[in-house]
Amino acid sequence: MPELVLDRVTKQFQNKIAVDQVSLRLTEGVHGFLGANGAGKTTLLRMLCGVLKPSAGEILCNGAQIRGMDGEYRHMLGYLPQDFGYYPDFSAKRYLEYLAACKAVPKDLAKDKVQEVLQLVGLSGEQKHKIKTFSGGMIRRLGIAQALLNDPEILILDEPTSGLDPKERIRFRNIISAMSKGRIVILSTHIVSDVEFIADQILLMKQGRIVEQGTSREVTKSAEGRVWEYLAEPEEAQRLNEQFAVSNLKNEGDQVYLRIVADTCPCKGAVNAEPGLEDVYLYHFKEAAENVENLERRNL
Amino acid sequence: MSSGKKKSWRFEIDETRKQEGLIQIKRAVQEKKVRYYPSFLACLIEQLRYQTWSFWVLQGGMLVLALVLIRYLNLPGGDGEASITICSLFMVLTGNVCLSGVSRLFSWHMAELEQTLYLNLRQMVSIQMLLAGMIDLAVLGLLVIFCGGRSGAGTGAYLLYMLVPFLWSDILYLHMLTALRGGLRGYRQLSAGVLSGILAVFPVFVEESYHLEYLMVWGIAAAVGIGVLILEIRRLFGKIEGGEVLCLN
Repeated sequence: MPELVLDRVTKQFQNKIAVDQVSLRLTEGVHGFLGANGAGKTTLLRMLCGVLKPSAGEILCNGAQIRGMDGEYRHMLGYLPQDFGYYPDFSAKRYLEYLAACKAVPKDLAKDKVQEVLQLVGLSGEQKHKIKTFSGGMIRRLGIAQALLNDPEILILDEPTSGLDPKERIRFRNIISAMSKGRIVILSTHIVSDVEFIADQILLMKQGRIVEQGTSREVTKSAEGRVWEYLAEPEEAQRLNEQFAVSNLKNEGDQVYLRIVADTCPCKGAVNAEPGLEDVYLYHFKEAAENVENLERRNL
Repeated sequence: MSSGKKKSWRFEIDETRKQEGLIQIKRAVQEKKVRYYPSFLACLIEQLRYQTWSFWVLQGGMLVLALVLIRYLNLPGGDGEASITICSLFMVLTGNVCLSGVSRLFSWHMAELEQTLYLNLRQMVSIQMLLAGMIDLAVLGLLVIFCGGRSGAGTGAYLLYMLVPFLWSDILYLHMLTALRGGLRGYRQLSAGVLSGILAVFPVFVEESYHLEYLMVWGIAAAVGIGVLILEIRRLFGKIEGGEVLCLN
């Protein structure tokens, strides 16, 4: 069974520290990295794949430096990059056969393996079509298929569900769950529901550091006593929405139901509620969300 | 003394433990990963197999053009200097087309993914460069054998006249692979071709550049070119290993 150990891994780009002294031990199961854009997830995943060289620290696979393992490590690896590359003039089948050859899948097995992964992601019917004719969701599914070609022991997926519709996302989650036995699955996302139900371990990343780590239950526990529910008048609801991090806002008759994430009771009459993973996410990434909102407002 | 046949002595077989042992062996066999390590030749063939049809069309076109050129330049009454320039221009274009295999690896966001494959980007680039080098050498050989004698320059000098623009255009091409970003990247092949072409015809504008007294200058340009080409290849591999350029690709 593979084991990945990150020891004070750091990546610095000129003056910006993208990943800051991350130490982790990853074993069999699904590990979901959650974080806002720019939190350092992609950089960390790229270092785990051996694409980027850490500025400091080391990454070990079964006790050996991954850079030293060279082809032996890449033999174990399946990777779906955030910006997934493909040759648009290749058909899906030819593209997967090409990657199977580059992944050193034995020739006599490659054809069957290509058919197997195409079926798994529901692209069997389109295998002879050129990739340039595919929709965004189909391209993403092709990306997932190529990552599974060599039956990898370490599967790294960067934003795997972006561009997928809800049905495709559920299908993808089921594939990952079914595949997680006997391998390390690492996925990064900013969609909470992607990891909430399937990840054995959730890692919240903020400004290059891991700020929370544990099972879904353990992570949500960290927000206990910080989630509040309240029924407010519309004017008051607007004020509270501007003042606090609101994870849910719903009109209920003349009043407005609010779910607020705050360290202390936001207003008289608010009652404590059971926290969910989305509340934890909002608690940690409130500022990031606000920055995006401000940016969007300015652009408008 | 016992009179009967001697009974062979055996341990009693514990069927339950035997079954458990067999299950464990079966599980270990199932978990065992059989890995395939393709030879260098197998990798080379696979890279050739998945070249695009446009690559082969261009290569075929260049070969036909080479044959036509040889036929034309071998006609009596040809201009020696003009023939050298045409041949060196052709050589530069061949080099450009051959290196398009390397360029393809850096296109369509493929570089990042390719770097994580068993046959990684660095190895793929090496294979593509080797293929390009072999084709270039074959074309250079054809030109030297069939056109070199007729040009008026000696074989060694003719080789230098072909080699210098070719070397510097390859340097330019490899540099552009990692230097151009964003929208400019799409014009890599075209701009490298145009600039290399200018480089190849440049000696025409320098009077007597193909004369023997300038041979030393050509020799120096070739020696420096080889050195810079080695540095450029090292820089390219360094960039691939660092990875940042792949993520921006």
